[in-house]
Formats: sequence, C-alpha cells, structure tokens
Amino acid sequence: MSASASETIDPAQAPLWDRNHHGHDVIGTRTFGFWLYMLSDAMIYAALFASFGVLSHVMNMAGGPMPGDVIRPGYAYGETLALFTSVLAYGYAMAALRRGRAGGVAGGLLGAMVFGAAFLGLVGKDLGDLFALGITPERSGYLSIFFTLVIYHALHIAVGLLWMLVSLVQLAREGFSSNVVYRLVNLKLFWHFQAVVWVFVFVFVYLQGVIA
Amino acid sequence: MTHSADNPLEHPEVQLADGRGYLLVYLFSSALLGAATWLVAKQAMAPLGLFLLTTALAGVVVVAQGVFLLHMEFSETQRWHTVSLVLFIPLFILTIGLSSWMFHGLYRRTMLTPRTAAPAAAASAGAPAMPGMDR
Repeated sequence: MSASASETIDPAQAPLWDRNHHGHDVIGTRTFGFWLYMLSDAMIYAALFASFGVLSHVMNMAGGPMPGDVIRPGYAYGETLALFTSVLAYGYAMAALRRGRAGGVAGGLLGAMVFGAAFLGLVGKDLGDLFALGITPERSGYLSIFFTLVIYHALHIAVGLLWMLVSLVQLAREGFSSNVVYRLVNLKLFWHFQAVVWVFVFVFVYLQGVIA
Repeated sequence: MTHSADNPLEHPEVQLADGRGYLLVYLFSSALLGAATWLVAKQAMAPLGLFLLTTALAGVVVVAQGVFLLHMEFSETQRWHTVSLVLFIPLFILTIGLSSWMFHGLYRRTMLTPRTAAPAAAASAGAPAMPGMDR
C-alpha cells in the first residue's frame, strides 16, 4: 500500500501473495491462534459444566447412586497432585528451553509424561471401580454428565501425552528449530490449561458433589 | 505479538518461563486444594459455608495459575492473550449460569422433587377417581 498515486502497477508482474516473512512474528501469531482455540475448547467445558449444573439436580439421580456414593475426595486429591506435578515438570522443561538446554527439555517432558500417565491411570482405576460396581453412565442423568466430564478431561490428557511423545521425537530430529519451539510453547499452553480446568472439575464436581 | 527474532529461543514467549514461579504456584495450589479436600472430608462446617469456602479457594487457585502458569499479564507479549481471556470469562459464566438458572425454574414448575412427591402422592391416593379414567 506504499505505492504513490503516480506509480503504475503492472498486474502481470505484481505479486499476489508474498510468501516470505518480513519481520512477521510467526511464534507469537501461532501461539495466539492456538490460545484462541483453547478458549473455544473451554466453551465446550462451559457447556459440560452447564449440563452438570442441570443434571446434578436430585431428580436426575433417578433413584441411583448419589454423588457421595461415587466420589472419594482423598483419591481425587491424589489425581490432582499427579496432574499438578506433571504441569510442574513441563514448566521446568520450558525453563530449560529458555536456557537452550535440550537435555533439560527432554527430561522435563519425560517427567510430565510420567506424572500425566499416573493421572490417567488413577482416573482409569477410579472409573473402572465404578463400572465394576455397576455404576455406569446410563444409570442416571447425573452419572452421564459425571462420566462425560471426567472422561472428556482425561481425553485431553491422553492427547497431551501423545503430543509430548511427538515433541520428543521432533526435538531429537530438529533441535530448537522455530517449528519445534512454537509447538513446545503451544503444548505448554495446552498442558497448563488442563491444570486450570482440573481445578474446576475437582472443586465443582468432586468436592461440591460430596457437599451436596 | 510484534516480535521477530532469528533465534526462536530469544522469543519473549519462551523467555516468559519461570521455574521458581511454577514451583511456587504448584505448592500454593496443592496446599489450598489440600485444605479444601480436608475441610470437605471432615465436613468441617455447614454445607453452605463449605460450598462458599471451596468456591473461594478454587477462585484463588485459578487466578494464581492464570498469573504464574498462563502468564496472564499486560506486557506487550501477553496483552492480547489476557484481553481475550478477560472477554471470554463472561461468556463462560453466562453459559453455565443462565443454563442452570433456566433449568432451576423449569424443575420448580414441572418436576416433583422427593420433598413434594410424597404429599402429592398421598393427596392423589385419597382423591376420588375421576369419571372416565378407569383403566
């Protein structure tokens, strides 16, 4: 848009699309785009929490198990600690990235994967125990949304673990290339956002379920 | 959002990482949610008090994590992340709040809760059968 009115532009020669980056902040732009995607994902959580608010009405227990029969607060706190420790490990991976230490990044990612897998294992055992007792999602509206919320969050954790595995391979192959770095930054957003969402799940579904 | 660097490690979003802050918020969040768990497990106060206290603790933990984990602040790098989150929060609250409010009203008008079901059942048992309703 810098051409003056007196200049003429030959349409046959004018580039329609400039494929080179001229000072364009690729990492910042992609990270912000991914952040907006995370917020749209959070709107799905909002819909699930709204459904939980609706379906946790006593009539939606349908004469089946009550929240107090399904929830073990101490056990859920163990899940919380596993996830928070995984998030801390990923934070240390980012601190190592800041210093350019590939070994520290790989170690942090591995630590995050171990504790993330522990979280998934704890959630899996918790839900498996409920299934063994005949407490299944189709038993009542409350159980449907309880299982949906917990499993939806657990799916995010599973995707994050897979993403970390891919990141480890890319880190080994490419080192700290621009692509690897922005993906690690986006994964940090994703992983740390799961900890924030878990606070909502833990407090509003688990703890306040027992209170109710 | 306006940064350009040849070395990706020098990018401000990478330089935001702070190991000490991550450890601090880990300890803080774990302690507060541990306290909330203990209070609930022990039923340390009335249900309404527990509800309000656990909500407040969750709010404090979420804010702390927003600041230390997600780096929600108004630096040039993070400004638009923070603005988008601030604009998102009312949508999040409205989605949950309005849905719950609408269904709360619906339940009150259309569903028999256990508290109201017993008197209603007793009343219908004692009522004479309506003509033409024999099955």
